[in-house]
Amino acid sequence: MGSDSIYADNNATTAVAPEVVEAIQPFLTAEYFNPSSMYEASRSTSDAIKQSRRTVASFLNAGSSAQILFTSCATESNNTAIYGVAKANPKRRHIITTAVEHPAVLEVCKDLQRSGYEVDFLPVDSQGQLDMRDFVRVLRPDTLLVSVMHANNETGVVFPIAELSRVTKSTDPSIVFHTDATQSAGKLPIDLKGDFLHVDLLSFSGHKMHAPKGVGALFIRRGTPCRPLMIGGHQEDGRRAGTENVAFIVGLARACELAEQHRPDEQRVQELRDRLQEQLTSAIPYLEVNGIEAERLPNTLNVACHYIEGEGILYQLSSEGICASSGSACTSGSLEPSHVLTAMDVPFTARHGSIRFSLSRYTTEAEVDRIAEVLPTVVSSLRKLSPYWDQAAQAPRASTVGRI
Amino acid sequence: MAWEYSEKTKELFMNAVQGKPGTHLGEIDDPDGLGEHGSIACGDALRFTFRVEKDATDPTKDVIVEARYLTFGCTSAIASSEALCSIIEAGKFTPIGALKIQNEDIVNFLEGLPRQKIHCSVMGAEALEAAVFNWAQKRQVDLEKLGVELPALDNQDGRVVCKCFTATEPYLKAKIKELELKTIPEITNAIKAGGACMSCHHIPGGLQDLLNEVWDPQAADQKERPVQAIDQSKPAGAAALSPYQFAKKVEQIIDEYIRPLLQRDGGDIEIVDIKDRLVYAQLKGACAGCAGAAMTLSRGVEQQLKDLVDDQIKVISV
Repeated sequence: MGSDSIYADNNATTAVAPEVVEAIQPFLTAEYFNPSSMYEASRSTSDAIKQSRRTVASFLNAGSSAQILFTSCATESNNTAIYGVAKANPKRRHIITTAVEHPAVLEVCKDLQRSGYEVDFLPVDSQGQLDMRDFVRVLRPDTLLVSVMHANNETGVVFPIAELSRVTKSTDPSIVFHTDATQSAGKLPIDLKGDFLHVDLLSFSGHKMHAPKGVGALFIRRGTPCRPLMIGGHQEDGRRAGTENVAFIVGLARACELAEQHRPDEQRVQELRDRLQEQLTSAIPYLEVNGIEAERLPNTLNVACHYIEGEGILYQLSSEGICASSGSACTSGSLEPSHVLTAMDVPFTARHGSIRFSLSRYTTEAEVDRIAEVLPTVVSSLRKLSPYWDQAAQAPRASTVGRI
Repeated sequence: MAWEYSEKTKELFMNAVQGKPGTHLGEIDDPDGLGEHGSIACGDALRFTFRVEKDATDPTKDVIVEARYLTFGCTSAIASSEALCSIIEAGKFTPIGALKIQNEDIVNFLEGLPRQKIHCSVMGAEALEAAVFNWAQKRQVDLEKLGVELPALDNQDGRVVCKCFTATEPYLKAKIKELELKTIPEITNAIKAGGACMSCHHIPGGLQDLLNEVWDPQAADQKERPVQAIDQSKPAGAAALSPYQFAKKVEQIIDEYIRPLLQRDGGDIEIVDIKDRLVYAQLKGACAGCAGAAMTLSRGVEQQLKDLVDDQIKVISV
């Protein structure tokens, strides 16, 4: 990033940490050997993968590192988990997931639905949170898989994975429990021998935690029936064919170590987020904080501005050097506003005006204050143009809202 | 996806939001024509007003001298509104003459629009139509007699095909012809229809059928209807008590023996669900936050139910 721009879109991707870049370097230059080769020189690369696997296992407190599979991204991890479990147990044909998953889970479940699987998409309440009772009611004797994200990418709302997985396993130990921890890995502690003891499969990727794009991981608890997605060579114990991306695997492991070291920083990130939230809510009328009453990721702030459209906000923020994202229809490929905000039933007057700021340990107080200074002006400039806003009264225009 | 707007689009947008002189942001008080298009739920909406210099004898010779807009929408929606007003004011159009302005004119003025944003320019043309209709009513001009067609206003009647954007069959057919739309993505890019839930794409009477009807009337008849078969065969429980009787029994024991004890401590219990021999329960009130809650459920409640109902029962706290 240039020094004059402010990066507040860390749930989309993160800057690669300098320490990670350093760790990767040798494997892009001198240490290029195929880890599957037999000669002595390739030991450096196969050892690097072995060591990285141990680091990632310890980061998740997973126990044996044989349970860690390296992939190309979280999408691949999610695809492997869901299709892999379906392939391994064709007799069970029912899947439970949520209405607010990332497309890498949602679309895979819909794909299975088209080939005859029954899928329950759990609803969320206005705070973006699940109701355990809805979950219990859809559990069935033929349930194959439960796949629920740990934290939502748009709102940052954290789902009760410990509870959900415990109830799943108490109901029937054969039901496989998968969680997409892409947004939470590195931001919230994950303990696969503690809270997450009942989680069978867990996905995450490197680029959301200051490693490069193009590397991910999938934890597969020993004994979980899961067939490979990528078929070919014997790499990753035959569970994921394809020559290992040694450099980026090393980068992912280094990023995990750094996340562990920077654990105390999360408190500071949360304080910055809260500071931004406080400043924005007091400066901008008719602003909703999505998921404000739910437990949220410490770095995520999703606000919805009534009566204006998100793309125009982003465009102006961008011209001020501020990078954020929006759940508005105009910024997505579809013409529909974000499926997450729709599932939360965010008021229709605000559903197109959502903006997500996601911070990182590199975010500074000055940057947050700059966002808080710019956004109110941007919102006001667009409201001036809006047929739903009464500029003189600084309030919604009663005559147009609900009519056009 | 980064912004792929032309410099002109960006410039018009930034000028508008910064309220630079010469922009057309706002609303004319007591306008001679007012038209609206879109809605806040759909993601963009335009309120368009104009003022005319009235001709003393013949209202059809009125000339539009001022045009203003208020727009809820993205960068290109706002720039399209600005373009519409500029084109109208520069052309010294009569209201009926202004109807010649098509969405392509707006696209050209903007020096191009991304494919997915074409609907922003269509919105401008439609609000203009509505405003001209409004002017005609006020000035008592009989548009029908003059042979002026207003296809956008037909949208109000007919069978709704796209529920998300309230697009009716006559409207869609008119637009398919007018804008020469050949595929569903083209329809969506131009007028948004079919762009949200997508359920209207291939259903009988849906967008594909309308396209076939307009462009290929023979093929339209031969289309097969998709059949959905849902087979719901659930395994039946093989116990002495029917599932209903079992659930009743569990509730009765809880009411008689368990609930009174919990209520004495300021708590309560909710049976969330019963599946086979699994009882899903939630402790309420003072018991909910209690450290011993899970223990109460698994030991106390479960043991009692095992003794009095069925020794296979397992209580799961939710």
